[in-house]
Amino acid sequence: MLILQRKVGESLFIGEDIQVSVVSVDSGGRVRLAIDAPRTLSILRSELRSAMNVNQEAAQEEATPLELLNFLEEFASHNDP
Amino acid sequence: MEIQTKYFGTIEYDVKDVLHFEDGLFGFETENLFLLLPFAESEATLLCLQSTKTPSLAFVVMNPFSLDPNYAPILPENELKAMGVSRSQDLCFYVLCVVRNPVSKSTVNLKCPVVINDETQEAAQVILDMPEYTMRHSLSEFRSREAEGTC
Repeated sequence: MLILQRKVGESLFIGEDIQVSVVSVDSGGRVRLAIDAPRTLSILRSELRSAMNVNQEAAQEEATPLELLNFLEEFASHNDP
Repeated sequence: MEIQTKYFGTIEYDVKDVLHFEDGLFGFETENLFLLLPFAESEATLLCLQSTKTPSLAFVVMNPFSLDPNYAPILPENELKAMGVSRSQDLCFYVLCVVRNPVSKSTVNLKCPVVINDETQEAAQVILDMPEYTMRHSLSEFRSREAEGTC
């Protein structure tokens, strides 16, 4: 993995036509980036991509909700004094 | 109105109960209309988020507060405004469950709850900017936590 340092206002190129610039860095460590890339390229925040993957898995359950319900009820009785 | 559902066969529903997700759910951006249907009449812990457009699309969702009473999701100002409320507590929260076999391996996504304004039926899925919540909390995590609490 390539790791490099950039200051606010500096940028880098990925290939010929993708330019990433650092716009600002706030005191909380939040970095604002500007990305100049072809429209056809999909740019996603990584957590958004993860959220999409988890949702895809959630849409295809491996066991029946009834089994899950029984499991949860066991849980509740387990916690009862 | 009548629809085919994934778990309940054909059901009757009232149009005013339909939740409107303007942006859909992550990865399901064109699914905008859902019904929230409880699995067990007695408890509202486990529910089904059923698409009204696609009968085979339904998510198993849970009330996060019944799993973890300390769950305290906070939405940023702009998201609260988009939902038409002023405080996070004014919204209803549900979390999506990945149901695994065995079910004890199932996980819940506390990081990306579905939020609902129950006065307008407007809904959205959000990503919380809170590092303590992840997208895959094991269900067994909550059992041990609760058991500790009772000791």
